[in-house]
Order: sequence, then structure tokens, then C-alpha cells
Amino acid sequence: MKSVLNVTAVSILLLGAHLKLTEVRGQSAPPPAMKASAIQVLMIQSDEIKLPAEFQISLYENLIEQLQKQGGFQHVYRDGDHAADSATDLVVLHSTVRGFKKGSEMARNVTTVAGKTSIDIHCQFNDKAGKNVLEKDLNGKVRFFGGNLRATLDFAKKAAKMAHDNFVARPAS
Amino acid sequence: MVLRSMRAAAITLLSIVGFTALGAVAQEPASPKPVTGTKVTQFMGLEGVKPRAGGTLTLDGGSLQFTSSKGKASVALHSVEDVITENDSQRVFRGTLGTLTMFAPYGGGRFLSLFRSKIDTLTIQYRDADGALHGAIFTMAVGKADPLKKEMLAQGAHTTIPMEEEAGGAAVKPDAAKEKKP
Repeated sequence: MKSVLNVTAVSILLLGAHLKLTEVRGQSAPPPAMKASAIQVLMIQSDEIKLPAEFQISLYENLIEQLQKQGGFQHVYRDGDHAADSATDLVVLHSTVRGFKKGSEMARNVTTVAGKTSIDIHCQFNDKAGKNVLEKDLNGKVRFFGGNLRATLDFAKKAAKMAHDNFVARPAS
Repeated sequence: MVLRSMRAAAITLLSIVGFTALGAVAQEPASPKPVTGTKVTQFMGLEGVKPRAGGTLTLDGGSLQFTSSKGKASVALHSVEDVITENDSQRVFRGTLGTLTMFAPYGGGRFLSLFRSKIDTLTIQYRDADGALHGAIFTMAVGKADPLKKEMLAQGAHTTIPMEEEAGGAAVKPDAAKEKKP
């Protein structure tokens, strides 16, 4: 009789723990803003801030590469790609440079604390109709090692993660 | 007598035709010579080529060709929408050796990072057959980017920043010779 009670109590505890864990998992992962199977990346705009051409291209190319690496989207379209016109659930990423500070690799190597390069970019995700579905400011920086263009990779990783978390449908657990 | 005069007339005629032909050849516009390869490092962007691949950039038949042991890529110059040159610098000791120097004792790595070499960068934007926009960045030795850009523009590439004309062919300082954004 005692053992039956013990088994029942343990079972109830395990069931409760499982239910709580499921609930916590559900809360930590917010539902996607919109489900999208394809994303189109537009060229980085820098009308207000004078951004060197290599940074602009590096941001754009790294963003596309990181979105492809991250997975989740069936297609990652480039700016102007005609194939994107036929995509149904498409999300379009507009990126605008809001701040840029070109540091110095030499200063970073010599002093460790000085010479940081940072880029602040406003990311706006629109649906195919042009309606804004998500916008956020992200930044990319390089503090210690690597060339100045490494800041663009840092930004691209953050933007790709944000796109993945918000637009890729997760399998139901 | 008649035969001799006919021979003389034929020689005269041939001479005239020959000189005329020579003149025509001289007036013929010189066909664009392919630029001899420029040693570059493809920093990123070219399809089918690994980033930081060293190779040769050539202009031939209206296309920009990058050839290296790690891959080959070609871009039609008429599809190039923008060509921009800039200058930068990079560590002399870079790559694996550069990483190893960071572990050098007594701040040796920091000291070695002071040694830097100047480089030119060439950035291009182009569209593929589907209209998709691509970008590529090349780095090369100082003074190589501007002639390459000039040749690319001559062969059909476009740019948003035209090259500055050298005033009267006078020598211009390297910094001043660089293009300036409007």
C-alpha cells in the first residue's frame, strides 16, 4: 500500500515537472511575428551616414550568407531578384545605417582597449504588401581581434538570428 | 615597249593601293588590349570563389575574370553598376603567422602589429541574369586599383563616382589622385 502511494506521488511530481517545463519552454520562445518561408535582403542604405563602399557590400553579403547558414528560410533572395516576385509568404528586410565609427585595427592590437569599430543599423521587416511587421535597431562591433570589416559579420549574425527567431516557424514540441 | 609601260603602270597601281591600305590600317581604331592580370585578393562576394582567395584579375572580351587555384569567376562588365576604389592598410604579419605573433613574449605581438602595408581596395556591385544584386571586394597593391577601374569603365562598367581627371597630365599626389565622393 505504501509503495503504491510512493509511486503515485512520484508520478504526480514528474507529471507536474513535465507540465511546468513545457510551459516555461513555451514562454521563453515567443511566437513568430509572421511565418515566412522566404526572405529578401535589400541593399544596405546609408543616406545619412557616409559609409565606405566595402562596408556596405560586406554588410549585404554577410547578411545573405548568415541567413543561408542559419537555415529555416527556403529561399534567401537578393535585392532585385525577379524570382522573389513569385514568392508567396515573403518578408523583406530593409536595413538603414544610423551610426558608424571606423576604429583602427592597429590601435586595437596595440592598446587592447581603444580602436573599436561599430555600426548601428535600423532593421525593418516588411511583408510583401509593404506592411511593417517588425523593426529593431541592431549593432555590429569589433573590439579586440580582426579587421574593421569584422563588425559587419557581427551585425549579420545578430540580424540573421533575429530573422530566424521571428519569422521561421518552429516545430510544435 | 608596251609591255614595259604596262609593268610600270601595274607597279604604280600596286604602290598606290599599298599605301592606301597602310593608311587605312594606321587609321583603324586600336582594339582594346586585354589588361595583363592584376594580382588581387578576393576578400568576399564572388560566386564560386572562397573568401580571401588570392588570384589574378583580368579584363578580356568585356568581362572581368578572376582566376585562382581555389576557383574561377567571371562578371560581365556591362552588368557592373558601380566600381569604387579606396585605400586601406593591413597587417604585414597576418593570417596564421599573425595569430601566432599575439603569443610572442614581452609585447612582441603588439610591436609587430605596428608594421602595416598600404593596400588599394576595389569594390564592385553587379547584377546577375535574374537581376539579383551582388557585391565583391578585392584588395591589391597600392596604385593598381585606379588603372583597373579606368579600364573597366572603358569596357562598359558603370560607376557612381567618376574618376578625377588629372589636370594637364601633371603628376598628382597619390592621396589627391584618389576619387572623392560628392
